[in-house]
Amino acid sequence: MISAKSLIVIIVLILISPVFGIILADMVGYHEPLDVAAELLGLKDISEEINWTPFFDYTVPGLPDVVGYIISGFIGVGIILGIGYVTYKVVGGMKRKEA
Amino acid sequence: MHIPDGFLDTVTIVVTYAIFIMYLAYSLLKTKGISADKISLATVLAAGIFAAQMLNWPLPGGTSLHFVGGALAGILLGPWLGFLTMFLVLFIQCIIFHDGGITALGANVFNMGIIGVLVGYYIFIMTNKLVREARKARILGAFLGGWISVVIAGIACGLEIGFSPACPYGVCVTVPVMGSWHAVLGVIEGIITALVVDYIALKAPYIMQDVGVVRK
Repeated sequence: MISAKSLIVIIVLILISPVFGIILADMVGYHEPLDVAAELLGLKDISEEINWTPFFDYTVPGLPDVVGYIISGFIGVGIILGIGYVTYKVVGGMKRKEA
Repeated sequence: MHIPDGFLDTVTIVVTYAIFIMYLAYSLLKTKGISADKISLATVLAAGIFAAQMLNWPLPGGTSLHFVGGALAGILLGPWLGFLTMFLVLFIQCIIFHDGGITALGANVFNMGIIGVLVGYYIFIMTNKLVREARKARILGAFLGGWISVVIAGIACGLEIGFSPACPYGVCVTVPVMGSWHAVLGVIEGIITALVVDYIALKAPYIMQDVGVVRK
């Protein structure tokens, strides 16, 4: 379902993602335009107060942020590929039945 | 561009959820009977966009950005499957990682999944009709699609967080901030979209056949 080339690109993206997502973000200060607009209006992010997931903001409990970020990347990609694989099999099975 | 919990008022939450659910249902209808190969391609693209969105680029000067991918999904997969691809990414980000609020899922899907995909797709198609030389049309169309889709999605995001009973003149603040920043940051989205689309058109042109603009 996924070529080796595509898989390698995705794995490389995940492995280098903490450099951009955590290390450089800490150095420069991660601040999206949305954060700028929200600050000007005084809007309050309540995500942490109503959080339901152990992987909040791409972290893994008990692990350093960089390692957690990489593992979160693999978890996310794994779930997406899993959902895609099941859909692929179901649709493939339906097509074979129709034929 | 992922709106977190706490930024939207009830009316905006309800309206954006209603639009997103109806659009999701319609997209599922429109993609009924799709081939297994297309599902395979959409899955790989979703995984790639998810991974690419994890690369936040902090820019000196006080802001940051990440790749969105709506235009890329629309150009490669068309508006309906492109939307479902973006929906899968945004849904996993929200449910598993709380990146984007559950109350804002409708708005985030509307901005990045509907607007991002549709604007990118139609700009790409229009550019390919207007520009004669195939490769130039492809690169320009993908660049403009990626860039403008992020600007429009950013403005929509500004409207959503700016429209609040608690802050009636909020849009006067949020729309210029979101629009101007994304007009600058969106250039990078455009460049990445153009590079990926051009690479795929050269290496695997069959992927773009359904979009109807593959020319020699």
